[in-house]
Amino acid sequence: MKSILLTTVAVAIIGGGILYGERLAKDKPRDDGRVVITYWEKWSAFEKEAMEAVVNEFNDSQEKIFVKFVSVAGISNKITLATAGGVPPDVAGLFGGNLAQYAYHESVMPLDELAAESGISPDDYIPVYYDMCTYRGKLWALPSTPASTALHFNKAILREVGWDPENPPKTIEELDKLDKLAAIKNGDKMERMGFLPTEPGWWPFAWGPLFGGQLWNGYDKLTLTDPDVIRGYEWFGSYAEKYGSGTVQSFKEGLGTFNSPQNAFMDGRVATVMQGVWMANFIEMNNKDLEWAAAPFPTPADRPDLVNPTIIDLDILVIPRGAKHPKEAFEFIKFVQSQKGMELLCMGQKKNSPLKKVSKEFIENHPNPYVQLFTDLAYSPNVIVPPKTPIWPQLSQEIRTATEKINGGTDPKEALQDVQNKMQPLLDDIVKYEKARGVLTEEEIAKAKAGGKP
Amino acid sequence: MAKPTRSLKAQNLFAVGTIHFVLVILSIIFLIPLLWMISTSLKTADKAVQIPPEWIPNPLEKGNYWEALTSAPFFVYARNTLIVCLLTVTGTVFSNAVVAYSFARLKWPGRETAFKITIATMMVPFPVLMVPLFEMFANFGWVGTFRPLWIPAWFAGAFNIFLMRQFFRGIPFELSEAAKIDGCSEWGIFVRVILPLAKPVLAVVALFSFMATWNDFLGPLLYLGSQDMFTLAIGLRDYHGQAGGTKWNLMMAASTAVVAPVIVLFFFTQRLFIQGIAATGLKG
Amino acid sequence: MSETNIRAKKEARAGLLFALPWFIGFSVFLGYPLLKALYNSFTDYSILNPPVFIGAKNYIDLFQDKLFYQSLGNTLYVAFFSVPLSTVVALGLAMLLNTKVKGQAFYRTFFFLPALVPAVPLAILWLWLFNGEQGIINTMMIEPIGTWLNANLHTHLPTNINFLGDKAYAKSVLVLMSMWTTGHAMVIYLAGLQEVPKPLYEAADIDGASAWQRTKMVTLPLLSPVIMFNVIMAIIGSLQYFTQAYVMFPGGAPEQSTYLYTMYIFDSAFRDLRMGYASAMGWVMFLIILLLTNAALKFFDSKVHYEGG
Repeated sequence: MKSILLTTVAVAIIGGGILYGERLAKDKPRDDGRVVITYWEKWSAFEKEAMEAVVNEFNDSQEKIFVKFVSVAGISNKITLATAGGVPPDVAGLFGGNLAQYAYHESVMPLDELAAESGISPDDYIPVYYDMCTYRGKLWALPSTPASTALHFNKAILREVGWDPENPPKTIEELDKLDKLAAIKNGDKMERMGFLPTEPGWWPFAWGPLFGGQLWNGYDKLTLTDPDVIRGYEWFGSYAEKYGSGTVQSFKEGLGTFNSPQNAFMDGRVATVMQGVWMANFIEMNNKDLEWAAAPFPTPADRPDLVNPTIIDLDILVIPRGAKHPKEAFEFIKFVQSQKGMELLCMGQKKNSPLKKVSKEFIENHPNPYVQLFTDLAYSPNVIVPPKTPIWPQLSQEIRTATEKINGGTDPKEALQDVQNKMQPLLDDIVKYEKARGVLTEEEIAKAKAGGKP
Repeated sequence: MAKPTRSLKAQNLFAVGTIHFVLVILSIIFLIPLLWMISTSLKTADKAVQIPPEWIPNPLEKGNYWEALTSAPFFVYARNTLIVCLLTVTGTVFSNAVVAYSFARLKWPGRETAFKITIATMMVPFPVLMVPLFEMFANFGWVGTFRPLWIPAWFAGAFNIFLMRQFFRGIPFELSEAAKIDGCSEWGIFVRVILPLAKPVLAVVALFSFMATWNDFLGPLLYLGSQDMFTLAIGLRDYHGQAGGTKWNLMMAASTAVVAPVIVLFFFTQRLFIQGIAATGLKG
Repeated sequence: MSETNIRAKKEARAGLLFALPWFIGFSVFLGYPLLKALYNSFTDYSILNPPVFIGAKNYIDLFQDKLFYQSLGNTLYVAFFSVPLSTVVALGLAMLLNTKVKGQAFYRTFFFLPALVPAVPLAILWLWLFNGEQGIINTMMIEPIGTWLNANLHTHLPTNINFLGDKAYAKSVLVLMSMWTTGHAMVIYLAGLQEVPKPLYEAADIDGASAWQRTKMVTLPLLSPVIMFNVIMAIIGSLQYFTQAYVMFPGGAPEQSTYLYTMYIFDSAFRDLRMGYASAMGWVMFLIILLLTNAALKFFDSKVHYEGG
């Protein structure tokens, strides 16, 4: 009797567990009959809140669609798995640099038709941002928030070392000079540097292009050992060489995380830093009293043609393949693309707008006093954009490893040759496949040969 | 060669003292990570990154725990973890006991070969299976549910089959014979004779599987998409990502809270645990 | 005669029925995926689109891939040091605890604790402890000891070690971490030690054996099957080491010196969407594990003492 009772209880608990688990996995329909679309986004904190405000605005304006906003960490892997598993969200917010990979595998939907129907035109956007949403002639995404970068400098340190704080370095040579002046070395330890190429170290691919080198020809050949690329990495490596690679590494490791008062730039341990449009906001949060300004990043003195370089970052919205409500999903994306939606979002995230048309209030009320500079830089002919190729996730990691090797004393040419040798065959496979599928057309190749830049 | 008793006692006392001394030192070394975690979890955000570090937090921020646990849906994660653990542990104990019974006490053609193959499966590395399993579960439509995490547990596994088989073989066969004469079926023998005697090993398998499930990271990472389905292990990682690696004190408070239940469970069950393993003999 | 025959048949039927869950589990969750992985390893496969057969290309590419050798080397390095070291630590702790000191329950829990902490917080904690500037290993051990030695003994030891950023040390952090998580093995040794019959020790004592002799003559031989079991588990486990390294050393920094084989498999599969390549790597790993466990079994075969011969 007792054992029957026990068995019954056990079966009941397990059954309950199964049923409850199943219920959790189901989407709950809404009482008002609106179509619920799921939107996965990578952001956290205030960036997430800014997008939530846009989502709320959209939901309030709607009677047919309801957007369920979900914040997801490690979104790149997650979205691949969910798409492969047949349970993708309806909209996903991804990193623009990875778009080529999604487009190549067609794991996101082409948006050309939906965009045309909605009257969204390439002419609405700053060219570089729209271009980042395309791959092999098709549109696969639309921007959420864009960014560009500039040199941020600590005016107090410049003044302290006798540098005119209104006149930051314009050439790489001047930057090196400023670094020499501002650096403080105490025995084996660095206490301050004028500039540190690995702080924050988010764009290891940018140093070659900064010196005019191209990482590839735009369609089938990597050119990582191009003399200009190597020159960029020689300069990058010169900082570890100058002070000793171990010393610089220890210094770097002692620096606090980006979003904290211990951030190297915020607490005055580096005098200048390459940072994005978001930096002003973090300075405001973590060290209000910092006396700082922003200017275009310096260029080599012998390359005046490269002035106003800027690294372009873009967050994008996509509709994963297999999404249950693509039409409704695009309704929401369209709302984000409107000037109103976009300015609400970009203002909330303290970034510039990817749209050409910007309201006066946006610039005037923007919390970043240099928002105009960042907007202008996005129009620069010398924008630095990650190569639009499906091998980018791996290539960027390989380049990062190469920069670690260069910092450890390896010859830049050798380190880059390794990457070239490893990655070129992978690109070859992709080009072969794309040509066979007719995706890589003569028109595309001609465009790449013409410079590839928008 | 008999030595005076007194000096023997003194010698013993000295030996015991030395052992305690060594054990205490080692305990400290092993406890450092945990103590540091607890200490940090009670600090203010500034003090958490201060150099040189403080061991005793001052001021004591007990509120960190509440703040951490409410700033992400940790109670939802805990509920999910418990559901998955419940289903996994029951499945593991039950299925392995049944299968191990067959391997240990029932004769059937090919049994020894089957057992050898079973043992060999322990050598299959998970990364090989990762992709095809994912693909298979995707075809079943199981991605985004708990099913990939617990259903396989109901179909036994080599390690636990091995452990239980060793134990079952040690139970006198006369007991089965007697039950058989009384008209018991094999199922009856298994349920009425073997299982009650096998409690220690059942407990060991249950505990091992509970801890493994509680800490499992890769499974939930692969199969659970939305936050309201997360388990603690993956929720903690998510929280770390969301907090941007800055709120160390809150991060550590959350970690401590996640670890605490397992530590308590281990402390109170360890005797049973070790006896259970000892009873299996683990021998050839 | 036929009575026993019927009984045997009945028993065989029951046996197969009882083993059925495992037959299903084995075929569905092991056999099929293993074969599917083998097939995948001969294809170009992104998981998002159907696989395309490409022959042995993945294997040919793999054997020309520097990172394959580098990551395999890293994994073998970690296994080579962590398996013996953690065996010694776990066995040593178990023997200490087996002396029946008071407060065993507490000591046991303490030693087991790091194995209970989930891998992710543990990894974050290690990152912090080993930090080259602020980590307590540096501020509380390396710096005071180094400074003192340098001042008093005129040595030239470093007062600061960049464990995570220096490729000469980063791998050793992975090895060191494995020392802390030997709890499972320790418990199994402890259980084994409790099985060693007391009279054997008493006999050894009467023969005037020292503690070391007792260990060598009585404990280790009797424990050898348990040691074999644990060592084989440790080999398999250390070759599959993943989560902590993945959280602590993204991309295997510095200079891929901590890039483990499993990390490469994971990245190939889910970052690069090269499932075919990842499957080939997985199968190579399977063969390596088979090879190493076989070698370990052979090694132990001559040494393991089985009760009753």
